[in-house]
Amino acid sequence: MKRIILVGKPNSGKSLLFNQLTGLRQKVANFPGVTVELKSGKFEQYQLIDFPGAYSMSSLTRDEEIAVEKINQALLDQDTALIICNLDATRLQSSLVFGMQMQVMAQRYGKQLVFALNMIDEVARFGHQIDVDALGKELGAPVLAISAKTLQGIAEFKTSVLQLAEQGSGDVNTLAPAVLPPPDFSEQVTQSRVLAAKYGVQSTVVLKNQNAIDSFMLSNFSGGIAFLLVMFLLFQSIFTFATPLMDGVESLIGLTATFVTDLTGPGMLADFLNDAIFGGLGSFLVFVPQIMVLTLIIGMLEDSGYLARAALICHKPLSYFGLSGRSFIPFLSAHACAIPAIMAARTIESPRKRLITMLTVPLMSCSARLPVYALLVAVLIPDTKYIGGLVNLQGVAFFCLYFFGMVTALLVSLVLSRSKLSDDEKSDMPFILELPTYRLPHWKPLIHRIFNSAKQFVYRAGPVIFTVSVVIWVLGYFPTGAGGLQESYLGIIGHWIEPLFTPLGLDWRYGVAILMSFLAREVFVGALGTLFGIEGADENIAGLAANIQADGLTFGAGMGILLFYVVALQCVATVATLKAETGSTKLVTGLVIGYGALAYLLAMLCAQLL
Amino acid sequence: MMTLWDVPGGQSVIVTALDAALDPSVHSRLREMGLEHDHAVHCLRRGPFQGTLVVAIADCVYSLEQQIAKKIQVKPL
Repeated sequence: MKRIILVGKPNSGKSLLFNQLTGLRQKVANFPGVTVELKSGKFEQYQLIDFPGAYSMSSLTRDEEIAVEKINQALLDQDTALIICNLDATRLQSSLVFGMQMQVMAQRYGKQLVFALNMIDEVARFGHQIDVDALGKELGAPVLAISAKTLQGIAEFKTSVLQLAEQGSGDVNTLAPAVLPPPDFSEQVTQSRVLAAKYGVQSTVVLKNQNAIDSFMLSNFSGGIAFLLVMFLLFQSIFTFATPLMDGVESLIGLTATFVTDLTGPGMLADFLNDAIFGGLGSFLVFVPQIMVLTLIIGMLEDSGYLARAALICHKPLSYFGLSGRSFIPFLSAHACAIPAIMAARTIESPRKRLITMLTVPLMSCSARLPVYALLVAVLIPDTKYIGGLVNLQGVAFFCLYFFGMVTALLVSLVLSRSKLSDDEKSDMPFILELPTYRLPHWKPLIHRIFNSAKQFVYRAGPVIFTVSVVIWVLGYFPTGAGGLQESYLGIIGHWIEPLFTPLGLDWRYGVAILMSFLAREVFVGALGTLFGIEGADENIAGLAANIQADGLTFGAGMGILLFYVVALQCVATVATLKAETGSTKLVTGLVIGYGALAYLLAMLCAQLL
Repeated sequence: MMTLWDVPGGQSVIVTALDAALDPSVHSRLREMGLEHDHAVHCLRRGPFQGTLVVAIADCVYSLEQQIAKKIQVKPL
């Protein structure tokens, strides 16, 4: 299949244009490094590939290096029919620096190139008009004005792109990039300034609003307060906003369970449905709304442009721990999932800081830990509210758990930064970060992302939890039947592994749930749901927290489990990603063992001291 | 000699030279950003904790750390 490639500088609306052309819903955000991988979709009869954003064809960071490498490969590819170079119309100069370099490369390899002058609606809002035809003549390539946000000019753009792609490329120069002399882009840099001055919006107009907001957001006092407030609200909202939705899901599961078991009547089938399905799988589904709220808040922050400011604010404090301000972005997105966060670390300028960030990202509490936290916080911490319900004690406990993960990550970073991790210290690049314009979120991709996160959460862990719940139920139900858990097959196995968990103040049921959760962290909740369901027979299956409370889990042991889950690296996919990105099995194995040992030690200390 | 790091917030300056010891890729990037001889830079503010400098160069706002800002020599506009 012939290909069209989409390139451009970061924060230029490239991902949104990709979504509009392919009908896909790729993540859109307002900070550098959203697209750290190639994304592809179908645009009519062509494959459209979205390349990672780059400021220049001379790379400075790992993500740019990958982008330039992939662009060079695409330029050599006979199937590349057209290059779409996305330009931010409001920031013509900085967009053209990369755009004109790309044009030189396209000419060198005999490829067709078209400029998409994106965000043209914002140019009109500034009271400016760009003479697109004249700009195209000076550039010597077609320029089409569009807005991927408002869809202005998109229909005409699609037609022109298809026509240009149909014409294809001329004679392709198949010499490898290394064979050709490295290009000198000095002329393009100078020319971009001339063209921007002639056609672009005045920078004072573009930056006026941004500077006004930044004077508040980046001031020593108000900036610090705003940062702490944003972070606190992020974690508090997971509890406050999600609670009514979670109560709704819990009630729905309870009602469905009653309805279904009434239909089946008492017996083994009813016990199975109650304990394994509604107790195991159901107690996991209750947490889906929290995942959605977390994705919403992180998505809004990413879209707004605030993340780059947060990276700037954090740069100095993080530098004391051997990290970069850019480490903040992977750290924050790791609260949704560690895998994209490890990839996002590619934007970090220094190889050493990038490695430390990748190795400590798993300590940030991802969404898979959320059900475990939510369950045990509900068991251990009273549901006390302050300031008219705005601050919830359970929410504060939640914040403390996330905070503990962050502090542990910083301390581990400090230790790693003092060690001989790599010899790349000399190649450390300086911290240079573009601060994008503040924008309102793009709601359509964001809503899609929220539902997608819920779907992924259920699809990823659901089958594992279902299988584990069924296995646990079978082993726990037989040979004695309902209420005979201690004498069941599972009870026998559980008592055998119990000595490992006795120092943590836990009995074999928690031991089984913890061991099973090495398949996926969320399994802990499902496994306990099944175990307590079998034991309690016909008790309220959805109220797992109440069952655990009634069972007498001590505060120290409960806190120990929580800290164990904050620290332990239990995710197979994260381990695989870390291995791929670091290229070291030894390092990653050491990390899994190290975090596991630390998690066990912390859980033991909690159980013994609290 | 005045460097970009010494410039107080709200003041515009002209770049006079970039440190010759800068890594060539960093030198090239700074030039592409507009940080080169005879070009104006507007220092907006210092970031919290004196960690970085926030500057407006052409149509973009950048945050630069001390390590790099100290290698850019400037004179008042």
